[in-house]
Amino acid sequence: MVQVTNLSKRYGPHKAVDDVSFSVQKGEIVGFLGPNGAGKSTTMNILTGYLSSSEGDVVIDGQNILEYPEEIKARIGYLPENPPLYMDMTVKEYLRFVCEIKKVTKQDIVPRIETGLETVRIADVRNRLLKNLSKGYKQRVGLAATLMGNPDILVLDEPTSGLDPKQIIEIRDLIVRLGQEHTIILSSHILPEVSETCQRVLIMNLGKIVADGKLDDLARDLADTSELLLRVAGERSAAESALSGLAGLKRIDISDSPEPGALDVAIETEENTDLRKDVFFALSGAKLPILEMRARNTTLEEIFLHLTNVEKGAE
Amino acid sequence: MYSIFKREFRGFFETPIGYVFMGLFLLISGFFFAYNHLFTGSAYYSTFLGSIFFIFIFAVPLLTMKLLSEERRQKTDQLLLTCPISVLDIVLGKFFAAAAVFLMTLLVTVLYAVVVGIFGDLAVAETVGAYIGFFLLGLCFISIGLLVSALTENQVTAAFFTFFSLLFVWLLNLVKQVVPSDSLSGIIFAVVAGLAIVAYLYFNTRSWLVAAAAFVILAAAIVLVALLSKGAFNGFIGNVLGWISLIDRYNSFNLGILKLDAVVYYLSFSSVFLFLTVRVIEKRRWA
Repeated sequence: MVQVTNLSKRYGPHKAVDDVSFSVQKGEIVGFLGPNGAGKSTTMNILTGYLSSSEGDVVIDGQNILEYPEEIKARIGYLPENPPLYMDMTVKEYLRFVCEIKKVTKQDIVPRIETGLETVRIADVRNRLLKNLSKGYKQRVGLAATLMGNPDILVLDEPTSGLDPKQIIEIRDLIVRLGQEHTIILSSHILPEVSETCQRVLIMNLGKIVADGKLDDLARDLADTSELLLRVAGERSAAESALSGLAGLKRIDISDSPEPGALDVAIETEENTDLRKDVFFALSGAKLPILEMRARNTTLEEIFLHLTNVEKGAE
Repeated sequence: MYSIFKREFRGFFETPIGYVFMGLFLLISGFFFAYNHLFTGSAYYSTFLGSIFFIFIFAVPLLTMKLLSEERRQKTDQLLLTCPISVLDIVLGKFFAAAAVFLMTLLVTVLYAVVVGIFGDLAVAETVGAYIGFFLLGLCFISIGLLVSALTENQVTAAFFTFFSLLFVWLLNLVKQVVPSDSLSGIIFAVVAGLAIVAYLYFNTRSWLVAAAAFVILAAAIVLVALLSKGAFNGFIGNVLGWISLIDRYNSFNLGILKLDAVVYYLSFSSVFLFLTVRVIEKRRWA
């Protein structure tokens, strides 16, 4: 549905977006993840036609945004990082204005506004001035505005930034609900948000896409070392000698546990080796009871840090 | 375009700006009307509008300062530019909204003409001509203000620069009379203007080749003209300033003559500035 090829955006010598390619299928919820300044907002601004790319193409259902700007803009609802609200208008006036410039036909305007107000649950503030609304409400008005043109693609730039935890959960639920009928591209620098709402993530760093795929797949690909965390009752020297003989071992890290008389052991193993049974027999042979043992999975945070740091190192 | 116009027009009266503009305009024009016509008993109304040009310099910046600068500061341009409307629609909607407020204000001053008509002999043709000319002149000033507003994010900066641009345009025909008119200063002016064009080309294209080519062509043109016809640069500075002087062309309206060239001049002057405004906004998206 959305096809982006070799997109670049230059600001003088600085490349804000550097040769980015990706595609989004109909009905997908895709999350752009990356630290601040990674080029997420710029990519979205190009995608929605606010900025033009220096190189590369944005094609939506076979139509290039440079050739059919108005057709494509009519199909996209865009919520920029700061919702573009006219503070001197009321919620209803504002949504009506958005309907008009989104070329909604006259008889559709009132029902469209009502549905929008219901969907984001702001019907109670419809006659308030936008400048008097709280940040959370403003964000929701912005979200309602993206729905006015009845678009099939929603582009949401950090939809939950600046909201309190309760509002974040509400907006997140709303996005998941909207995802049933819309193709959604959202960005965030907050990981749990992306992991909870998106089926697929694109991780960006320094203007490039450094990873693209399902979260689980990304986690698996990146797990080039696996780690076992144990709590063992016994002496440090005994544990050390029992474990040091194991094959496939990369590193052992033994520290005193907060539990009296116990040790915390972290074992890093080589890729694709499962040492849990070997560890068990080695320690039971040495009469060192295992109190706890778990394999540590790579979390999204780790993938994220890994990818963004690797890139920085390569510079 | 109509929705932009509607929002903008209403915006003028939801904020104090529309009222301040109308108030200022009517206060100054009312003062001049009372002073020049009521107190002296003069029915020669068609000169009235010509005597209050300077209002534009104070009033137009009020009207245009926030039209585009505020969109950028509040980032609402992100909404407008991602909607299925063209930049031209946006610019025209805003231009007509400002023009409508100006027209409304101007229509109030028709009352003055009515007063003159009741108590004296009103030269109707001259008055109508003067109003048309005055309105067209106002459109030109508004288009200048709109361009300045597109260039900045700060409405105070926009107002300030619009004020000085309009002051410059207003003073042009005074400046024209005092600039030297001999051939040598004309040539010097042409050389300076030519160098400015070359510099502009260089900074836009960053290519020495283009700049050098332009330099050679312009230098050759100046030398040829100066050698071939001796008097060509006599009064050159004044003539150039005359081309862009809006005020000069107003005089024919004053006499009740609708000169086509003056009407076309005013309309094309506004169009050029509106076009430049569109270009400024478009170019920013590519920058």
